[in-house]
Amino acid sequence: MSDTSTPATDGELDGSDDARAADRPGALERIDASRVALYGFLIGLLAVYMVPIESGLVTSIKTSPTGVSETLPYMPPLLPETLQFFTTEKWQTAFDALSRGLVSSALYAVPATIISAFAGSLAAYGLTQATWKERYKAPILALFVAGIFIPLQAVLVPLSQFWSNIVNVADLLGFVWALGINDDYAGIVEMIVTHVAYGIPICTVLFRSYYKNMSEEMIESARLDGATMRGVYRRIVLPLSTPMFAVVLIYQFTQIWNDLLFALILISSSASPAAPVVLILAGLGQSMEGQDFPLRMAGAFIAALPTLAVYVAFGEEFAEGVAS
Amino acid sequence: MAQLELDDLTKVFQDGKDEIVAVDGVSIDIPDGEFLVVVGPSGCGKSTTLRMVAGLETVTSGQIRLDDHVINDVKPQDRDIAMVFQSYALYPHMTVHDNMAFGLEESTDMPDSEIAERVEEAATMMGIDNLLDRKPGELSGGQQQRVALGRAIVRDPEVFLMDEPLSNLDAKLRSQMRTELQRIQEDLGVTTMYVTHDQTEAMTMGDRIAILDGGVLQQVATPLECYHEPNNQFVAGFIGEPSMNFLDVDNENGTLVREGFEYPLAPEIADRVAGRDEVVLGIRPGAVEVEHTSAGDHRFDATVDVVEPMGDENTVYLLFDAWSDDNALVATVSGMRQIESGESVVAHIPEDAIHIFDGETGEALHNRTLVDEEVADVTGD
Repeated sequence: MSDTSTPATDGELDGSDDARAADRPGALERIDASRVALYGFLIGLLAVYMVPIESGLVTSIKTSPTGVSETLPYMPPLLPETLQFFTTEKWQTAFDALSRGLVSSALYAVPATIISAFAGSLAAYGLTQATWKERYKAPILALFVAGIFIPLQAVLVPLSQFWSNIVNVADLLGFVWALGINDDYAGIVEMIVTHVAYGIPICTVLFRSYYKNMSEEMIESARLDGATMRGVYRRIVLPLSTPMFAVVLIYQFTQIWNDLLFALILISSSASPAAPVVLILAGLGQSMEGQDFPLRMAGAFIAALPTLAVYVAFGEEFAEGVAS
Repeated sequence: MAQLELDDLTKVFQDGKDEIVAVDGVSIDIPDGEFLVVVGPSGCGKSTTLRMVAGLETVTSGQIRLDDHVINDVKPQDRDIAMVFQSYALYPHMTVHDNMAFGLEESTDMPDSEIAERVEEAATMMGIDNLLDRKPGELSGGQQQRVALGRAIVRDPEVFLMDEPLSNLDAKLRSQMRTELQRIQEDLGVTTMYVTHDQTEAMTMGDRIAILDGGVLQQVATPLECYHEPNNQFVAGFIGEPSMNFLDVDNENGTLVREGFEYPLAPEIADRVAGRDEVVLGIRPGAVEVEHTSAGDHRFDATVDVVEPMGDENTVYLLFDAWSDDNALVATVSGMRQIESGESVVAHIPEDAIHIFDGETGEALHNRTLVDEEVADVTGD
């Protein structure tokens, strides 16, 4: 995001330069070959990123199947002669199909993101600023790092065994289902715990590198000021972690929201009331008559909107966090 | 306010299998309200000593006592000690007011109104009362430094610890803050331990100076005592700017000798160095007299090598004509005096101003005789 915003501001500056070029003879000479090449490259990059989005958007407002086959690809059906192929019905259909999935996804993605980020931050605080011997910290850090590299595929079988034979959430939370809530929502609890467990290592390592660079004297100063370990975390470390929280929240939310593998194992059916958006999206627009491309495109956009919203909301802090 | 005692304080760092002794059996008593400056070259253990008092480093052996209570194992947050760091260590996300209030909020149950009052008071004292709403990032180095001091003052702790607090300031601000810090410490009367590598700060600020080298305490005494009556060659060389001249000489029956150099000693001084063959002759640059008389006892033909004009005085580097090596003798003369490089002069090393140190141990065998008896009488321990 910062990539595209930088040339934009540069462009504005150049624009104002042009306006004053008359009274500044050097202005034109500053535009040399390398600068032209740079802008050419950036525009090319922009095109590479934008084309799939553009074609997806254009397709999503066409009728199916005739609209897709009768109009030019990449062209919106907005010319007078192609207007008959324009429709917003696909968005409506996709939204109707996915809305319950959006709610289910949010039910586990939001808590799992927040809990894993917070737990990672706490663990990293303990691994950096807390005063215990360095040689005890190293093996524990090694465990966290190892946790990052466990492939998802390797844990699928143990995971389903764990949630069915060892900890059966559906049985444990019997009192909740007695309230009239569908016991398929046990899958949501399983998703939260699984994603938190899987997310903590990467969150910890990200926060750790951030806390490592935090001024040691500042922490010591706070301790001499009478603050306890908890006080230092709450009043000094946590408020200063905002940029890193943005990075971790965006990263984790995108990961968890888009994850299909755990959802397939733990919730499995798109017919379940607890089915997340990714499961429903997988089957959307597929039928015996063939694929409904406009519907699939509209569905993909709707499913991606929350991750986009998170990026926009934390964009500024994200850039700051990545820069540090 | 309290009396701080360091008793045989030792810190050993483990580096793999190696043991590094950072602080070696340091004992200092700091009476209530004293301003003690701990000075020494980098790596001498002065910061480690301070950090042990703060509770930021564990103590390997020995005791730290605050008003006769051993505080070795007391957590830093429970020691009622305020520390000013070299980097100021301000909390960047808090305003100046919040930075200063933090310590009181964390360590006391004081109501907010009283905290605000005390912050206001300390800020006025430091001249930063108009900056209370700003964040550290919006302040200049000098202002940040005042906030750091204010943050320590507002707590009204038993002891102030300062770790090179002025070293990030420019020269002019530094000398200004030096005076101000002294004034504040005198006003508050809080026992203060101040660490620096700068001997000027040590000389000008401290009630007493503790000089450390290689983790070992060399001397604890008033600044003038350290200057005029150093315990050993290290103290003599460390205190004073430009530093003392040292000449390695042989003691031959009361005459100090080296190639092309003979320095007869008065019988009373000769007695003190008797039995030591290799000694070091020390003379402060200010005590060396640059004359144009002919050579004689304690006078040596020399050539001016370099002249560094300082305005009020000139620092002159003299090469002895009779020496083959280029061991220069540094002298300071009045800035009004015209001395040119290459000029032939006579360097007079007055006998009443010389120091003599043992060549092996560096121990002071003889220190200069002071005309002012009052100063000479100041003997600390």
